[in-house]
Amino acid sequence: MATPQKVVVEVPAESEFVAVIRLAVSGVAARMGFTLEDIEDIKVAVSEACTNVVQHAYPVGPRGVVKVESIIHQDTLEIVVSDSGSGFDTHHIVSPKMQPDAPDHGVFGLGLGLTFIRSLMDGSEVASQPGEGTVVRMHKRVPVQPS
Amino acid sequence: MVIEFSVSVDSNGLLPVVRVVGEIDVYTCPKLHKVLTELMGESSSSVVLDLQEVHYIDSTGLGTIAHSARQLSKENRHMHVVTARPQVKKIFEISGLTSKNIRLFEEESHACAE
Repeated sequence: MATPQKVVVEVPAESEFVAVIRLAVSGVAARMGFTLEDIEDIKVAVSEACTNVVQHAYPVGPRGVVKVESIIHQDTLEIVVSDSGSGFDTHHIVSPKMQPDAPDHGVFGLGLGLTFIRSLMDGSEVASQPGEGTVVRMHKRVPVQPS
Repeated sequence: MVIEFSVSVDSNGLLPVVRVVGEIDVYTCPKLHKVLTELMGESSSSVVLDLQEVHYIDSTGLGTIAHSARQLSKENRHMHVVTARPQVKKIFEISGLTSKNIRLFEEESHACAE
């Protein structure tokens, strides 16, 4: 089987660049034949992972980068969002529904973001260790074209 | 194509209407948060948030809206969100926010009449 093609975009972990990632990934998804609704879902999912990097990965010191790999498999788009920031203990991720009275600062954090990634993609996983960065992998299958 | 983000307030009707154009994400939501916070301080009524020209919203935008809705509900005021876009409605529905103190409307006239 041929090696899958890969589109890699790396941007500073700053909020203004999350829209750039959305544009790049939606371009790849459109080329693969995803429906408009699927492309919107993918945009939200990848933005949630990037937003998490922007908000949490580099709390002190110089801001690093967020790297987004779009891997084009025959019938699936795989997206890997990674950083080399502070990382976290994945056991501490909680669903926002488990925290109805979460701190009232107007930001839901990774809990709701992960809910979106899980709901909008066909599969996802988060790997992180304190001090060793975070990798979020997700994938979505291309809808079968009617013949 | 990226549409430039803007937020405006129309205070001429029965309820104040906040109209948003563009994408609501981690970069733009502080601007929305500022406008909503200022409006809620100036007005004592419920608030209509018109998202008809918003085609993208994620958890950061929802967090901003939920925060304002929670502040409003403490004073028995409400947040009426207007959108007919399936993708935006879907994001609200997945979040579960519409079951709390946010009501979705497809037309601004209906949101203002409540």
